[in-house]
Amino acid sequence: MKLRIILVGQPNVGKSCLLNALVGPEVIVSNYPGTTVEVTTAKKMVEGEEIAFLDSPGIYSISDRSEEEKVTEKALFEEGIDGAIIIADSVSLERSLYLASQVLEAGIPVVIALNFVESAEKKGIIIAHKKLSKILGAPVIPINPLKKRGIGELVNALLEIEETKGKTFTVRYDDHIEDAIRAVSSQVTRTQLPKRFVALRVLEEDADFYGYLSDKRIIEAVKEGLIEHPKVAEDIAITRYGTAAFIAGKVTHLVRVEEAARSLDERLDGALLHSLGGPILTILTFAAIFGALLFIGSGIQGILTGFTEYLLSLIHLGGGFGGTALEAGLAGMMAGISIALPYVFIFYILFTLVEDAGLLSRYVVNLERFLRWFNLPGRAIIPLALGLGCTVPATRSTRILFTKKEKFFTAALLSCVPCSSRIAIIMGVVGYFGGKWLALSVFITLFVSFLVWGCIMKRITRIEKKPVLYELPELPPYRIPSIGNIVTKSWIRMKTFVYLVVPLLFLGGVAYAGLDALGLTNVIVAPLSPITWWLDLPNVAIIPLVFGFLQKDLTGSMLLLVLGGKVSSVLTPLQIYTFGVAATIGIPCIIALGMYIKEFGFNKAVLLTAASILYGLLFAGLAWRLISLF
Amino acid sequence: MTEESDILRIVEEDILRILGEEKSKRVSLESIKSEIKVAYLFISNAIKELEREGLVQSQGDFIVLTKEGEGKAENIVKRHLVLENYFKFKIKRTRSEREAHKMTDILEHYISKEVIEHIKKLSTFKTEGIPLTKLELNKEGIITDILFPDYGLFERIVSMGIVPSEKIKVMYKIPDGMVIYVGGKKFALGNEIAKGIEVLG
Repeated sequence: MKLRIILVGQPNVGKSCLLNALVGPEVIVSNYPGTTVEVTTAKKMVEGEEIAFLDSPGIYSISDRSEEEKVTEKALFEEGIDGAIIIADSVSLERSLYLASQVLEAGIPVVIALNFVESAEKKGIIIAHKKLSKILGAPVIPINPLKKRGIGELVNALLEIEETKGKTFTVRYDDHIEDAIRAVSSQVTRTQLPKRFVALRVLEEDADFYGYLSDKRIIEAVKEGLIEHPKVAEDIAITRYGTAAFIAGKVTHLVRVEEAARSLDERLDGALLHSLGGPILTILTFAAIFGALLFIGSGIQGILTGFTEYLLSLIHLGGGFGGTALEAGLAGMMAGISIALPYVFIFYILFTLVEDAGLLSRYVVNLERFLRWFNLPGRAIIPLALGLGCTVPATRSTRILFTKKEKFFTAALLSCVPCSSRIAIIMGVVGYFGGKWLALSVFITLFVSFLVWGCIMKRITRIEKKPVLYELPELPPYRIPSIGNIVTKSWIRMKTFVYLVVPLLFLGGVAYAGLDALGLTNVIVAPLSPITWWLDLPNVAIIPLVFGFLQKDLTGSMLLLVLGGKVSSVLTPLQIYTFGVAATIGIPCIIALGMYIKEFGFNKAVLLTAASILYGLLFAGLAWRLISLF
Repeated sequence: MTEESDILRIVEEDILRILGEEKSKRVSLESIKSEIKVAYLFISNAIKELEREGLVQSQGDFIVLTKEGEGKAENIVKRHLVLENYFKFKIKRTRSEREAHKMTDILEHYISKEVIEHIKKLSTFKTEGIPLTKLELNKEGIITDILFPDYGLFERIVSMGIVPSEKIKVMYKIPDGMVIYVGGKKFALGNEIAKGIEVLG
């Protein structure tokens, strides 16, 4: 027997964390909304039964208004679900029960996983979970996914989830609404969904459900008759919430507690959300991250480089093509690791730290307003922040935006948001060989290029200006991040580096040696020499730029290979700077291009990629010309 | 515990609710009397008071809501709906459905001291609600109404726990918006949305 179970809950309620506890560290756990925009599946075998868990984006309600809600709703009805785990937040039970009652209305059996029980108790909120279970007619299990508490019971409850069917709680609306529901239900056909649920969605004005009615005129007729409820949709939502709040009130017991911990939160928020101090602190944090990257990263890079040289001096694979190729492969791999690994790793650790502490959502609020310059909605900041890690998932997360234009604009902006690999180039190549100020100037140049690129895209996309809504992002409480979680998360994010990039670095080295031995380097170098001329770089410098498009982390190692490891003696500081700028602006690599094709179609993606790379080269050439005037 | 002024206020509310539930916004004095079972003196006094405030008009044996009264009545009807459901559920186990209806009407006003306080603040015909944007910083307000043309936004806000009768606090002002505290959670909210949330300070 196979079971398909979907995890549903509000943003930040610990869905992904629970999934980790259920099946192992396969998903990224975040303390800020918008990380999951797709349904991910993970499987587990229990007592000979396979349970497939589907993780869904965080939502407050299943009515499909936002992308997250659409994705979850689709998963609920189209994935052949056997049941749902509703992850409930003990601190605000009524919100979770609102969602739970909607899922129950849809006739889906549920198990309630009661999360954050301890933090609720600290706030003086005690929940009688057995009583709640009795009211809802569904199992309610207190859990703590971090400490793996309650996970076994939860799995056991899932194995018996079928048995709750038909015995669960349903919200009762007032008599007039119930009459209306009955009237609409009688016209519902052609669906497996419960008639009552379809009727409710119809009364809630969800046009997607009108198709299930044998006669659509019933909608108007019923609404005409509902004189007591001129706005029946609103009354349904309010009743549902009222019922949820009532049940929550019934099972919640409040105890008075000292509120010492909150005042620290408030002081932090007072500073971080200050209209002037907030943005300043945000910028300072990013500066601190880059400072830490530069100092710690370059220290590690120095050690790794020394180690690499020592190692390579020991290895003599003899002459012949095979030996040279292998040596080049090893040299490329080691160089790539020394350049990229320290920065990518430290960046992810720091980024995860900021995210888990609950700081990131405050920074997002602080930065949102600046996106107004580009007429973008505030939530566009989430893909942009993710872009500092990797452009590929960042592009995917543009799905949280509302219109195609906004998605495309935001995705285009990612060309000027350095991903961790590009940050590594700036730190490991420009900073390491040219000094910290040179690295800083590349960052500043990148920022200017971001603004200019944004203005160009604003012209092209012509998005209308809208008021700042802040879109109700939740500001989660500050948490002291757990080291285990940070290491796990950073490792998940690093995994591609180790499994994919390291072999590619080796292959890149071999490929270069191959090209060299066959005398084919000129085939790449010669036709592209106008570019290197424009950038005032040696002709061979085009090779790392081209290889870099295959895999960004190849850029640094290939530069070292083509220059024989002597970057600072061959290139002037200005050339190092130009190389850094040229290598970091633009859609970064072929994997990112693949994601753009998936999201925006082949033509648009290729056009955008070509345009962004050309823009980067143009910008780099102009930048060094401008600087050399002084 | 209940003082005369309280009874009067409750009767006033009930009259507005009955009128609000009627599509024509017009109800005979007779049916008001049969629905609110208190001494006639209270009813006539309440009607006088409501007339004085310009919320209703007497037309012979009928009472009619004025334009101004319609808004207030709608609010009360909405709140009644929430409460009715609370109690219907609560009472379902022990009493009949019909009784639940009756109980709601009574309990609405008498459940607990705290709720009475709540309702007192909620009875919008004494004090005007203000948009959330005008609520003083760090002062607790009570949500009285949510006014959005778009149901999508309305449902989203309600599902987040921003509903009439909930306590709400503006913690910080941020450019073009604010950080609010409601139901134990903090949210950032743009002024455009906040304008549609009506509160009593």
